[in-house]
Amino acid sequence: MFDRNNQSLRMRPGGKGSTCYTYPAAPATPGLVTADATFQRGIYMNGSLTMDDGRRITVWGFTDGIGGWRKTAFPSPIIRVIEGQIVHTVLRNSGMFWLHTIHHHGIEPSSENDGVGHYSFDLASNATYIYQWKASHAGTYFYHCHTNAVLHVEMGMYGGLIIDPPEGQGTLFSGGPRYDLEVMWVCDEFDSSWHRLRWNAGSCGADVGLNDLNPDYFIISGVDGAQSALTAPGVAVQMNRGQRLLVRYINAGYLPQRINFGGLTASVFMSDGRPFPKPIQVQSLESSSAERYDCIFQPELPGRYIITVEHLDWVSGNTIGIARTQITVS
Amino acid sequence: MKRRTFLQKSMAGVAAAFAGSSGLLTWVPRVQAAVISKTFYITEGYIKQPDETQVYFKGFSSNANGLDVPGAALIVQEGDSVEITIANTLGSNHSFVIDGMVDSGIIAGGQTKKIRFTVGAPGSYLFYDKLAAPYNRLVGLHGGFAVMPATGTNELYPGSPTFVQQYLWLINEIDPLWNTQIEQGVLPNTKYKPRYFTINGRSMRVPGHPDYGNPDIDAGYNPDTRLVGSIGDRTLVRILNAGLAIHSMHFHANHVEWLARNRQIRADIWEKDSLLLPNNKGSLDVIYPFQPPVDAWPPVTTGHFPMHLHDEMTQTAGGGLYQFGAATTISFK
Ligand SMILES: [Cu+2]
Ligand SMILES: [Cu+2]
Repeated sequence: MFDRNNQSLRMRPGGKGSTCYTYPAAPATPGLVTADATFQRGIYMNGSLTMDDGRRITVWGFTDGIGGWRKTAFPSPIIRVIEGQIVHTVLRNSGMFWLHTIHHHGIEPSSENDGVGHYSFDLASNATYIYQWKASHAGTYFYHCHTNAVLHVEMGMYGGLIIDPPEGQGTLFSGGPRYDLEVMWVCDEFDSSWHRLRWNAGSCGADVGLNDLNPDYFIISGVDGAQSALTAPGVAVQMNRGQRLLVRYINAGYLPQRINFGGLTASVFMSDGRPFPKPIQVQSLESSSAERYDCIFQPELPGRYIITVEHLDWVSGNTIGIARTQITVS
Repeated sequence: MKRRTFLQKSMAGVAAAFAGSSGLLTWVPRVQAAVISKTFYITEGYIKQPDETQVYFKGFSSNANGLDVPGAALIVQEGDSVEITIANTLGSNHSFVIDGMVDSGIIAGGQTKKIRFTVGAPGSYLFYDKLAAPYNRLVGLHGGFAVMPATGTNELYPGSPTFVQQYLWLINEIDPLWNTQIEQGVLPNTKYKPRYFTINGRSMRVPGHPDYGNPDIDAGYNPDTRLVGSIGDRTLVRILNAGLAIHSMHFHANHVEWLARNRQIRADIWEKDSLLLPNNKGSLDVIYPFQPPVDAWPPVTTGHFPMHLHDEMTQTAGGGLYQFGAATTISFK
């Protein structure tokens, strides 16, 4: 139904006589049932992020609540559910012209609920869709827009997604490690020149340079990693010796990254929402776009540990930017 | 059917012993090593990209008047004797190399050379032209070389998890300016800015585009590339990167079992939805299990999903045209 020769897949005419490869629709959710957890999401496209050098960069994202339009958070508010729950992510596309979807990255629902425009539909303007899915595996995920994703994800249309095991928060997965505190580091790079583009730039055939990413800002969970992330609440960590810290690390950029743990050793128990047969101990990790790693730290010595996230050129592998935060152990 | 190039793309089969065109590999287990022979013609031509740009390529072609980019994938068995005949129909020097296995040395323009070698350890390899590195490789002179274990079973290596079918995906990215400079016989001197991104030489097309669904053009429908399976059809995907860029492979609907990277067997097999693909002949071997998508409610056993590179620049063509990049379809029958 959602593939070749699907009559419901209609393209939207673009500007200047061109064709835009988008698929606006607003179907009903197949097999809709009552959900155990419901999240309302709207759209904002007028957000701005002030960088450490004083520049303001336009960001887009999802609002908490379907009303939409005002930036509530960047990254978008976390979706947090319990393994086994049936979840509704209700997207209200409260705009006049633009299209968006929600793809729950790493979650594996039906085609209709996967949020990929050209395999199902881009949610039409002023329409609502209920993405229905079941949270089957505890772990760290994220959700993002999959309409013109090359631009919309770069603009910031993503947020964290956590599935807790039935034991609840404090346990990474059933049979896995416990933790006393947790932080999510969503690491991304911005090419500020892309942040001036229209929502459908890249969908209508014109060369808008989306093959060529030249990032000039490096951020951790929506905070400039030049300076601010070193101290920003919710990013930088303060903990006591003997405590167990869970870092949910997400590569939300497009380039490879190397995260260095400042001399601390991470026990990595899982990636992409699946436990490892055996945890690994590392002092740094390399990742590619959209990978997640769940790292447990139990520092023995007090001190300040500077965490660096190196963003690597996809050809040379050289570091082209560094974001920093820290773990302070008392 | 529309051809993706003005040169007829060869549809001719290769020796039955190691049949396969470029992606889906057919394999008949056998007990004994065999003698395998294959002829490649080094040819050139143009391939139309999603934005209608004609881009110059060279290829290891199965036909003297064709152009295959990549060259036909070869599947052999550890210990086989392989005889490759390379007929260089062009004026420039080229070579045929498999790292750790064979190096033809220079095959001059107009020359035909026969090379023989014994197949080494099981795994997924690239054959390529190492002259004028990396340019001859990037301009299309590359193909996949799959080595099955001598045990002749459906394993990647002896004792690996098993599969029922296998595919080979050759990833490449293309800076047309570089290809043009190579066509003109000069070494590229501009900064590398790839504009097209391919799997087995093809980019995606989407509904509404005239080439959508054309199996010779659309990476989402090319039978060598599109993963098709029913529940339980465990599928080995050999992923090779001929290009210069590091990529992220992202699978929808199932996590994959990650067996190897750069032919290094993983001690522990991790289940992943996104994996780093190293550049410059890097490789990944994964099994896509074709299990029912685990988070679907109500449960489903059919559907169509993408596999796409998640470094989203690769999802464009010609600087725009999102969805016309390196991606394909995973079809649950
Ligand atoms: Cu969007
Ligand atoms: Cu994603």
